[in-house]
Amino acid sequence: MAEPIVKIRELTKLYSQGEIQVTALDRITLDIAAGEFLALMGPSGSGKSTLLHIIAGVDRPTSGQCLVQGVDVTKLNESQLADWRNQNVGFIFQTFNLIPVLTAAENVELPLLLTRLSRTQRRKQVETALEVVGLADRAKHLPRQLSGGQEQRVAIARALVTDPALIVADEPTGNLDSHSAQEVLSALQALRKDAGKTIIMVTHDPKAAAFGTRQIHLEKGELSQ
Amino acid sequence: MTVSTFILKNALRNKRRALLSISSVAVSLFLLVTLQVALRELTLPPQSAGAELRVAVRNKISLTNPLPVRQRGVIEKIPGVEAVTPFTWFGGKYKGEEGMSFAQFAMDAEKLHSVFGEAKMNGDGYEKFNATKDACVLGKITADKYHLKVGDQITLDSTVYPGSLSFHIAGIYAGTPDDRNMLFRQDYLDESIGVPGYVGMWWLKVKSADDMAPVIKAINAAFQNTSAEVRAESERNFQLGFISMLGNIKTLIASISTVVVFTLVLVTASTMSMAVRERFRELAILKALGFRRRELFAFILAESFGLAVVGALLGIGGAYCLYTFGNIGKMTAGIFVSFEVTPRIMGVAALVAALLGIISAVAPSLSVARMSVVNGLKTLD
Repeated sequence: MAEPIVKIRELTKLYSQGEIQVTALDRITLDIAAGEFLALMGPSGSGKSTLLHIIAGVDRPTSGQCLVQGVDVTKLNESQLADWRNQNVGFIFQTFNLIPVLTAAENVELPLLLTRLSRTQRRKQVETALEVVGLADRAKHLPRQLSGGQEQRVAIARALVTDPALIVADEPTGNLDSHSAQEVLSALQALRKDAGKTIIMVTHDPKAAAFGTRQIHLEKGELSQ
Repeated sequence: MTVSTFILKNALRNKRRALLSISSVAVSLFLLVTLQVALRELTLPPQSAGAELRVAVRNKISLTNPLPVRQRGVIEKIPGVEAVTPFTWFGGKYKGEEGMSFAQFAMDAEKLHSVFGEAKMNGDGYEKFNATKDACVLGKITADKYHLKVGDQITLDSTVYPGSLSFHIAGIYAGTPDDRNMLFRQDYLDESIGVPGYVGMWWLKVKSADDMAPVIKAINAAFQNTSAEVRAESERNFQLGFISMLGNIKTLIASISTVVVFTLVLVTASTMSMAVRERFRELAILKALGFRRRELFAFILAESFGLAVVGALLGIGGAYCLYTFGNIGKMTAGIFVSFEVTPRIMGVAALVAALLGIISAVAPSLSVARMSVVNGLKTLD
C-alpha cells in the first residue's frame, strides 16, 4: 500500500443531546492511501458522514487524531482550516448545492476567488474542469437549466478546480436516477484513474460502492469491515 | 466572475425584495432630509441683506401689546440710529379666506427704503407709496399667487381692528428672503380704523454694525420703568424669539426623525436577516469551500451597504432635486419660501444610510459566524 494520505487514530466523536451523550464515532483507526477510491458505507446514524466531515475539516472530533497529508486537521484553528479546505479538499454534496444565481462556470470558479490567480487563469482552469466532466458546452447555463446529473457534474468540476489531493463526496448519487448516477460515478472513477485523486465517498448504495477500490462499513460508530 | 459580480448577483437575486428594500430606505431618507430641512428653515430663517443693521423694538410684556407713538422721538435721538418706522400688524383676511395667507403691516412709507432697503421695486413704486395714502406695496409671491398687479385694488377684513380697509397697489417688491408681506401706511390705518397714538412695534436701522449693541442697550434703558417698557433686539434674535412661540417644534421634529431612523433600521435589518436566512445553506457551502468568516461578513456587509447606498442616493438625491429645482412656495402653499438642502443635512442623511448598512449586516453576520459548516449543511436536508 502506498503512503496513506489520511491517517486516523483513535478518533472519537461524542454528541450531547440534552443530558444524553451519543457516540457518533468510537475510537476509529483508519488509513486511506493516496489515489484510493474509498466507499464508506453503513446505515443511517452509523457515523459515516461525521467521519467524512472530520476528514474534510468541517467538523471536529472529541478526541483522537486525523492527519491528512501529514497535517493534523484537528489542531488547526477556524481560519487555518478554511485555507486548508480551499487548497486540499474538494466537496461534492448529495443535493449538488450550486448557487442558483450563478452560471455553471461561475459556480465552478467560486473556490478560485480565494486564490491569487488572475481572471484569465481562473477562466482557463474553469474551462478545463468543465471539460473533464464533459460540460464545457453548458458553461453559461444556470443550475435550473441543467439536469440533476449535469448539476452534480458541475459540482464535481467545482470540487476539482483547485486541484485538491482529496475529494470527499457525501452520497453524490442519492438524488440521481440510475443513468445519471452511473455518469457521476464514472466521472469520479476517471478522476482517480486519470488524475490520481483520492476520493472518499459516503453511500448507502452497494452499486455505487462497487465503483470504489475499497469499501468499509461503519456500524454504530465503529468500523466493521 | 469577480467578487463584486458575485455580491451584485446575490443582492439582486430577489429583485422585488431588493426594490422594496431600496424604496423603503429611499423614502425614509427623503423624509429625514425633508424634516431636517424643515427644522432648519423654521429655526434658522433666511437672513436678509440688511438684517445685521436692523433692530426690532417690541413691548416687553408681549408682542401683542402696543407701543406709544411718543417713543419714536426718543429712539430717533439715540446716537447711531439712522431711521425708525412703526410696524403694526393688521391681521387682514383677503377675499374672506379662512386664514391669513399673507401678513400685512402698517409702516412709515418714507422709511421703507432706508429700513428695508433690500426690497426692490420697479418703476415709481416708492414714489406712489409715499404720495398716496391708501397705497400699499405687495410682495411678489403674494402678487403672483393672487394674480394681482400694480393699480389693482384689494380689500382686507381686519381681525384686529373693527372693519375693512381698501388699498391700491402702488408697487410689487422682491429681493427680500420672504417676498410675501404687504406694507401700507400707518397714517392711513390711524385715520381710518386704527388706534391713533399707538403702534405695534418699531423697526429701526442703525448706522453701522458697531452701533448695534449700544443702540439696543440705550433703547432698553430709555423706556425702563415707563408704562411701556420695551425689548429691543437684533433682527436675528427677534426672529428666533418669534419662532420659539411656535412651541418646542425642534423636539417634535427630532422625535419624528428618530422614529423614522429607528424604523428604517428595523426594516432593513429584518430584510437582511431574511435574505441571509434564506441563503444559510449556501453560506455553509461557501464556508466548506474555504471562505472565512471575514469574507462572508464582507459579502453580507457589501450587500447591505449597497442596498442602503442606492436607497440613499435615490432618497437624498430626490430630495435635493425636488427642493432645489422645484417651486417650494407652490408646493407648501407659501408656508416656506426657501427649502435649502444643505451639504450638512445631506451628509447627516448619508451617514445614517452608512450606519444603517453596517448595523443591518451585524446580526446576520453574527449568526453566519456562529454557524458551523455541518449545521449549515443540515439545513439543506
